[in-house]
Amino acid sequence: MLKTEELQINIGPQHPSTHGVFRMLVTVDGETLVDLKPVFGYLHRNHEQLGEVNTYLQNMPFTDRLDYFNSMVNNHAYARAVETLAGVEVPERAQYIRVIMDELSRILNHATAMGFMLGDMGAWQTALLWGMREREKILDMFEYVSGARMMCNYCRFGGVVRDIDDWFITELKKLMQGLPHYFDDFEGLLLNSEILLARARNIGVLPKELALAYSVTGPVLRGSGVAYDIRKAEPYAVYDRFKFKVPVGTVGDVYDRFLVRIAEMRESYKILEQALEQLPDATGGFINPKVKQQSLKAPAGEAYARVESPKGELGFYLVSDGSGSAYRYKVRAPSFINLSSLADMCKGYSIADVVVILGSIDIVMGEVDR
Amino acid sequence: MTLSHLATEDVFVVERNDADFRAGQGMTKGLGIVFRKFRKALFGKPNSDRADTEGQFNVQYPEERLVLPEAYRNMPILLYDDATGHELCTSCFQCERICPPQVIHITQAKDPATGKPVPAAANFVLEYDTCMSCGYCAEVCPFDAIKMDHDFELSTGNHPELDVNYDRLLRPISYYEAIAPTMWSDVKEQAMKKLQNNIKRRPGAIGRDHGQKVKGGAAVAVAATPVAGAAPAAAAKPRGPVAAIGKNMPEEKVAKLISIRAANAAKRGGGDAAAAPVAEAAPIVETVVDTPAASAAPSGPVAAIGQNMSEDKRAKLEAIRAAKRAQRGE
Amino acid sequence: MALLARGELRSILQTEMPNALDTRWDTQATDQPEAHGEGQTVLLDFDAVVKAEALVEVAHFIRDKFGYDLLSNITAVDYLKQGLIEVVYQFYNAAEGGPDLRVRVRIGRSPEECIVPSLTPTWPGADLQEREAYDMYGVVFPGHPNLARIYMWDEFKGFPMRKDFPKTGDKYTHVTGE
Repeated sequence: MLKTEELQINIGPQHPSTHGVFRMLVTVDGETLVDLKPVFGYLHRNHEQLGEVNTYLQNMPFTDRLDYFNSMVNNHAYARAVETLAGVEVPERAQYIRVIMDELSRILNHATAMGFMLGDMGAWQTALLWGMREREKILDMFEYVSGARMMCNYCRFGGVVRDIDDWFITELKKLMQGLPHYFDDFEGLLLNSEILLARARNIGVLPKELALAYSVTGPVLRGSGVAYDIRKAEPYAVYDRFKFKVPVGTVGDVYDRFLVRIAEMRESYKILEQALEQLPDATGGFINPKVKQQSLKAPAGEAYARVESPKGELGFYLVSDGSGSAYRYKVRAPSFINLSSLADMCKGYSIADVVVILGSIDIVMGEVDR
Repeated sequence: MTLSHLATEDVFVVERNDADFRAGQGMTKGLGIVFRKFRKALFGKPNSDRADTEGQFNVQYPEERLVLPEAYRNMPILLYDDATGHELCTSCFQCERICPPQVIHITQAKDPATGKPVPAAANFVLEYDTCMSCGYCAEVCPFDAIKMDHDFELSTGNHPELDVNYDRLLRPISYYEAIAPTMWSDVKEQAMKKLQNNIKRRPGAIGRDHGQKVKGGAAVAVAATPVAGAAPAAAAKPRGPVAAIGKNMPEEKVAKLISIRAANAAKRGGGDAAAAPVAEAAPIVETVVDTPAASAAPSGPVAAIGQNMSEDKRAKLEAIRAAKRAQRGE
Repeated sequence: MALLARGELRSILQTEMPNALDTRWDTQATDQPEAHGEGQTVLLDFDAVVKAEALVEVAHFIRDKFGYDLLSNITAVDYLKQGLIEVVYQFYNAAEGGPDLRVRVRIGRSPEECIVPSLTPTWPGADLQEREAYDMYGVVFPGHPNLARIYMWDEFKGFPMRKDFPKTGDKYTHVTGE
């Protein structure tokens, strides 16, 4: 037997497949990965301390910059945390609008995340651009309703900043007409593609028990076979009024995570349909007029609110000392905690699989480094 | 694992393709879809309906532009009344207080006779480079004086000019009405009423002494039928934020800039070193009056060139422009 | 396996593992506010405050007995006025769903006292979060396999999220070479 030598390689921090500035210090034995150490902090801006300096309202646009793919979901989670803390009621219409935005975010996130993952596998650009195209349509609608494509800053305490109008609803219905065709095309293009099958099946396996121990959430956890979805486990907003299913995988490999995401897009579509059907008329208002947005003061105490973001459990933990800004502001960032499982998932596979496994976790460095 | 919080019909297991035999069926199917789309994109007409998943989706920016929605927000601007030239801002400091990155700096105007504060701003500086476009300033403004602009082509090589001060922030109401008609009509009545009240409390030229608002002149001419989009609007506005250096800057900053430039030029030791700073300094001495010629110039960035340049550079530029015009066949 | 209501864990621990509870907060009423800073902060007490050395035991207890197997969130909070750092652990019951179960540890702020045993050997997901708590608050977790700074660089001195860390003017921006 030949004596082999271990070699240390840095992947990143500026590497196209690290999804931002993220470094992995990998030890390889030939092609096989022996050890992996993630290195963070390149995008660290002490977001949590900013949250302690800002007033509650001022912090809302900063949450956009966490997971910049899903600023609508971030806004929702943060608004919910402050609403829990300050005991603010949210009109029903606003709850529905938030749900619509969340589910649109989920579709655009999964479409692009899968595109990026296919890009990492070598099916370069085609799948990504297909995801981007659908995302663009949705971003146009976000822009119409909130004023910005990505940094939406849309939620306010007790509602949303602007009501959705007839134009939005007509365009959303048009968009939804196209979505099933889009899902079919996306599946037809990729589901049985040889590239995907060869690079995803039985790669990066994360067994059920290990997934729970690693605290992973979202599609990664469900891909490993644990049917845990916050929309079902602890329903928030109006999610208990919709009928939808939770897709789970069996093996817990990259392929299962991919399939779970595709299935989740279809479930989001179902939720959108029901939400549009049930959407109450504008008489109830879209924002609670009693809330003093600018000078909101929460009573002393603590609150934790979480939502099922497309990447997993996004939670905000707030401690208030009764003043106008949070005493402690902590973000439970899904991509950050999902990353802790990376090393274990990668060990034993080839070095080319590392980027694929990283792509299947679907991280955004804005959220990881905060 | 028991999942008591989920009914069994609420969970489904995704279907895997675990077939070992692969002969390129999946790839062929995928390619078939790609070719179908490709054909539609080649021979289909450009796509405008959101329901379509086939056809051409590209927009040939900058020749073609998407229509920006009214709510679109990029950078804040300040409004003034077309008829009287009075600015809507009363320096109430609401926007300065709410601004999350703290980039708004207002100086309140004072009555020179009595020294009492007047509902107008003496100066208003906004750091465009740090602004995060959240739109809170426009949201909280009780006088509808600060609004979000639609002009997104702000790229510049000159960092200090992104500290935009009052003169370059001001736009006529008609400009804002052109880019956001319904949003302005919602607030128009109360905004104008409040403005009339404030005008009464403003002695002399306070509240309308910020530069280039030639009343009834060519400078405030606005395109009569604005198309929703940034390009025509950009041509109409009095001066984009990309205006020449030194033109609208506070005095001491200009002086600093000139000295830095002179030092740099001396370091280079070039032949035109001595001439350049002088030529650049020249326009600053002039009072800030917008000549009709400057505002009639095609658009922001181009208009700025030539104001503070050395002669030979300007001549070169003119030659280039002439060549370009000839190329376009004008 | 059952869901626990808020505050229920405290009474359970009193009978099952009386030594694990941190008795320093026994005398206070559950919602009595304590002065803190300019405003008021409640050191909320309806969750179980456990002794640092009993944390691992309690965590295993709630996992094995009540099914709280998903350690979701670890938050360190600096209560400067009380001279405390509180580490909050939030557990979820993955099978049953429902709200979280919070277990707290309250420790002193000095380096000798600021020690909590690591949960990483059982919950490897705690790895990065414990490193973050160490980096930002200086909480030391013995038993952690790689307790290094995570966001700040290794040579960084001090713990930036602590309330007494200077907010302006740090030595790193004015270094002219030593």
